[in-house]
Amino acid sequence: MARALSGALASAILLAGLACAAEGVPANDGWVTDRAGFLGPEQERALEALMQSYEAGSGNEVALLTVPELGGQTIERYALEVGRAWGLGKTERHNGALLLVARAERKIRIEVGRGLEGNVTDSISGRIIRDVISPEFKRGNYYQGLRAGVEALHAAAGGDYAKISGGREGRRSRGAGLIPLILFVILIAVLRGGRRGRGGGGGFTPWILAAVLASRGSGRGHAGGWSSGGGGFGGFGGGGGFSGGGASGGW
Amino acid sequence: MGSRESGAQRGLAKAGCLIAVGVVLLLALILGGMLVSRYNGLVTQQEKARAAWSEIDNQYKRRYDLVPQLVSTVQGAADFERSTLEAVTEARASVGRAQLPAGLPTDPKQLQAYVAAQQGLGSALGRLFAVAEQYPALKATQNFLSLQDQLEGTENRIAVARRDYIDAVRAYNTYRRRFPTNFVAGLFGFDPLAQLEAEAAERETPKVEFGFDKNKD
Repeated sequence: MARALSGALASAILLAGLACAAEGVPANDGWVTDRAGFLGPEQERALEALMQSYEAGSGNEVALLTVPELGGQTIERYALEVGRAWGLGKTERHNGALLLVARAERKIRIEVGRGLEGNVTDSISGRIIRDVISPEFKRGNYYQGLRAGVEALHAAAGGDYAKISGGREGRRSRGAGLIPLILFVILIAVLRGGRRGRGGGGGFTPWILAAVLASRGSGRGHAGGWSSGGGGFGGFGGGGGFSGGGASGGW
Repeated sequence: MGSRESGAQRGLAKAGCLIAVGVVLLLALILGGMLVSRYNGLVTQQEKARAAWSEIDNQYKRRYDLVPQLVSTVQGAADFERSTLEAVTEARASVGRAQLPAGLPTDPKQLQAYVAAQQGLGSALGRLFAVAEQYPALKATQNFLSLQDQLEGTENRIAVARRDYIDAVRAYNTYRRRFPTNFVAGLFGFDPLAQLEAEAAERETPKVEFGFDKNKD
């Protein structure tokens, strides 16, 4: 009897604990977890594919989370909690980064794992938010802003995009071939754009987008293959080594 | 007859002796095992605290090193309010004077003085950034923005490291006081660590945006 009671108590505590954890840190559903609903399904799939291919090529784990609101917490604290709880980045290397957007507070944060702090410095993070994401968000172009921000993060963190093996065929490869060029352009846009002034950075983004879209061609119907193929999202590396690096901003 | 009896007794005594030795050995083994595991536990906990502390220390140093750059950038770009700049320079100098001995802080008073000096620098920087809001030309320079990003990042890292340190010290000190770890700790000289005082700001939220003055690290 006592044993049954204590068992019930233990499982109740466990459940309560799980419920609390779920409320604080949302469960991730892949590289993109769009709780605030900034993205359409096609856009989310496209971003997901890009981010998966980046992880496969570079080993770095860059994730995106949007939330409707922060519930009274600061975005810095929230981002840290999420990064640690998700275990972003590989163990030992801690090469993860999180792009977090809070819709109600109109805040953006880039949280950088310890392993990437050398490449994605605080000032680069700040510049990505100020010069790449924020201008697009101000115009209401959420997808463009998020995509350009993620690409800039990839460029700053370094490494290549990979072709995902098996059944990915030519379309994807052509897209992947363009990526070093795109990365280069973005890097220049990020570095130069800020220096020249506000408007400079934004001008490149439509061009990049056009290039990416053109390279994809009519490959839209194909996007579903990501989940079934060998290169699907398989969870984060379990590193979670975050110590508060990155930058915050808003729009 | 008598000799045979005594022989049996001797055999019994021998067996008793062996059992006693065995029991003692077993106890020693159990005790030794416990000692080792408690000792290792203490070492692990202490190392966690040490890592957290060195992170705080690193970030304080980083901030200390960034200040001259910030001051010269501000001086170069605008006719900036002099008293604010002087306050920052002074606060930095007093941080330079308040140094702690290497290793983990065990003396609460020393730690308090050190932290007070660091907080002084934090709030002086906070005022500088608040005043900088009135200088749009300065705020538009890439150099200033970059330094601001770096200092805000450092400030956030300090807040994170402080929270981690507070947690690590709490875990270590609690573990250390518990029976029978307290014996092991006394035997091998594991001293209690000086705790940082968690401030109201840390309990809730580390505010970074132009909030250095509110977030007294």
